[in-house]
Amino acid sequence: MIGWLSDNLVSILNGVALGCLLFALAVGLSLVFGILDVLNLAHGSLFLAGAYAAWKLADDGSATGFLFAVVLAAVIGGAGGLALTAATRPLAGRGHLDQALLTLGLALVVTELVQMWFGHDPHGVLAPVGGSLDIGGGYPTYRLVLIGVGVVVALLVDRAVEHTRVGALVRATVCDSDMVAALGVNTRLVRSGAFAVGGALAGVAGVLGAPLLGANPHLDAQVLLLALVVIVIGGLGSVRGALLGALLIGQVQSLGIALAPRQAPFLLFGTMALVLVVRPAGLLGTRTVSS
Amino acid sequence: VTRGAIGRRLGLAIVMVSTAGCGGGALRSESSAEAASVRGSVVRIGFVAPLSGPFASAGEDMRRGFRLYLDRHEGRLGGRQVNVIEVDEGAGPETGVPAIRRLLTRDRVVATVGIVNSAVALGAHQSFVDARVPLIIATAGANDLTGAKGSEYIWRTSFANADFNHAFGRWLATQPPIPGGVFLLAAEYVAGHEQLTAFKKAFTAGGGKIAGEQYSPFGTTQDFQPYLTQVRASGAGAVYVFYAGQDAIGFVRQYKDFGLAGRIPLYGPGFLTEGPTLVAQGAAADGIMTILNYASELDTPVNRDFVASYEMAYDAEPTAFSVQAHDAAAVLDAALGEIDGSVSGSGLVAALPKVGEIDSPRGPWRFTPRRNPDQHVYLRQVRREGDTFVNAVIEDLGPVRPEATP
Repeated sequence: MIGWLSDNLVSILNGVALGCLLFALAVGLSLVFGILDVLNLAHGSLFLAGAYAAWKLADDGSATGFLFAVVLAAVIGGAGGLALTAATRPLAGRGHLDQALLTLGLALVVTELVQMWFGHDPHGVLAPVGGSLDIGGGYPTYRLVLIGVGVVVALLVDRAVEHTRVGALVRATVCDSDMVAALGVNTRLVRSGAFAVGGALAGVAGVLGAPLLGANPHLDAQVLLLALVVIVIGGLGSVRGALLGALLIGQVQSLGIALAPRQAPFLLFGTMALVLVVRPAGLLGTRTVSS
Repeated sequence: VTRGAIGRRLGLAIVMVSTAGCGGGALRSESSAEAASVRGSVVRIGFVAPLSGPFASAGEDMRRGFRLYLDRHEGRLGGRQVNVIEVDEGAGPETGVPAIRRLLTRDRVVATVGIVNSAVALGAHQSFVDARVPLIIATAGANDLTGAKGSEYIWRTSFANADFNHAFGRWLATQPPIPGGVFLLAAEYVAGHEQLTAFKKAFTAGGGKIAGEQYSPFGTTQDFQPYLTQVRASGAGAVYVFYAGQDAIGFVRQYKDFGLAGRIPLYGPGFLTEGPTLVAQGAAADGIMTILNYASELDTPVNRDFVASYEMAYDAEPTAFSVQAHDAAAVLDAALGEIDGSVSGSGLVAALPKVGEIDSPRGPWRFTPRRNPDQHVYLRQVRREGDTFVNAVIEDLGPVRPEATP
């Protein structure tokens, strides 16, 4: 057991790092779906904006530039979230397909704009924290930093949603939006706020992920796919579900591939299918909503 | 609706999204050609390359190479005005094949140039044979295109996947033995398998040892840690990889991040470090040795002249993609020059075998009997030059005779 652990330590560690990144990406998508009942397929575009912010401001590994990129991406992501709230409001009650079409269309527009402004070429971004630690022959220090940041983000989001008054309102809105409105709460504000925070987190995740994934015009579709898988596995609208799903997919994508490389193409969707069969509502998604 | 049902529906939506990403409409643009001459001898040429999607960078280079040849020859090929009709190949056959069908049926071109994705070329090749219109492939490398599925209508100015990998394998086997052997790694698709297989055959035939072989899912692999960990665990003394574009950037950067760069030499076909890919990799690519049919650093009068005009026109370095499309224009130029009177697809097919040596920036080459280029391949190494990195030419590994490679 100990021998197996030490053989696979790097893969396990890396799975946690990927999981942390996936959580920051997916938690916004999950909250927006839970609170607004909006299937936002433009979520990846906000991540894309973050990745390009990192490339523009910090591709040489400058720490100040990286922090600027984080702030800028949070602002862009938040503004994007507000814009998407406004864009999807007229579609309220028209079902998920219409929302999916609108937001997917917006995502395609963003991809085209990115290509017009920044070209087709993919770009790399140097990590603001270089070097590697002597774990299993060498592990990039930045990925350990990513784990630390991910843990802080997860704790903050969990604390905010589960232990504050605003969080209670958010959870109440997820459960029964009409009842919360009847109690005199401005649910529009709650909805816009949740969309903005979710968008900001996606933008920040784009910056954090840039040293791993770089920046290219098609990054949005790749990460959106992962985020959707994460929230389906974790349970829609649940913060802890998103965390569990993200950590699980992180392990599947690192430890899973290391142990079963030949099955690599099937692991991601195989895991999702398995979870859907065993627990159709996702691992932590037990509540039901009216449609 | 329960969340479970929503979850299942979302599962469907995920599949939808994963295919929608491959969208990329078939944009068309007709180049402005001068009005037909009195004798009505404007020749319609189709140009197919990815102008959107993950291969758009290669497509843009091909477009530039083809354009540059036309611009340097007053827009004429074989003494005739040409009208180039460009269509977007997109990410794969679902966009590329219909775009090509339109070129053949509606635009009635007499020849077509381009194609990056082998799946597009394989999907459309029968249409060219049926329409009796020659296709000059300027990138797609599937061995079958000039092998089992070869036809007098299908020509290629680029390479067959086996060609230079075979040359690299043969060369590496003549070097001092590599302790622990070579680990092979590529993206999981036809080109990945064909490239590694050719290398492996030649390398093991020369006495080389293989430490392991693995294929990462194409298009969904962003993190190469599981593979890098396996490389380390295998005790391999070198790594041979086939990656291009975004995969190549991610792989090379992570190869350095995980501390393998500088300890375990990295080899592969030149797409690993070609053009904008190398710019994005920066210092992480330092020292990587690759093989390709071209390097912008080639020190010949023809190439120096080509690089200078290319940089003047586009403010960028030419790549192998640029040269392959440039040479396709040169081939058409020579073939059209052989024809008297009106031009037809079958007339061109009769003229193509008469095209002699092409004086290309990559060095002179001519077609083999199977319509593949008989060309030199170059061993290159990434080296720092001032603030940038270049693919310095280490050695000319001589002509590859594709028909001789099994």
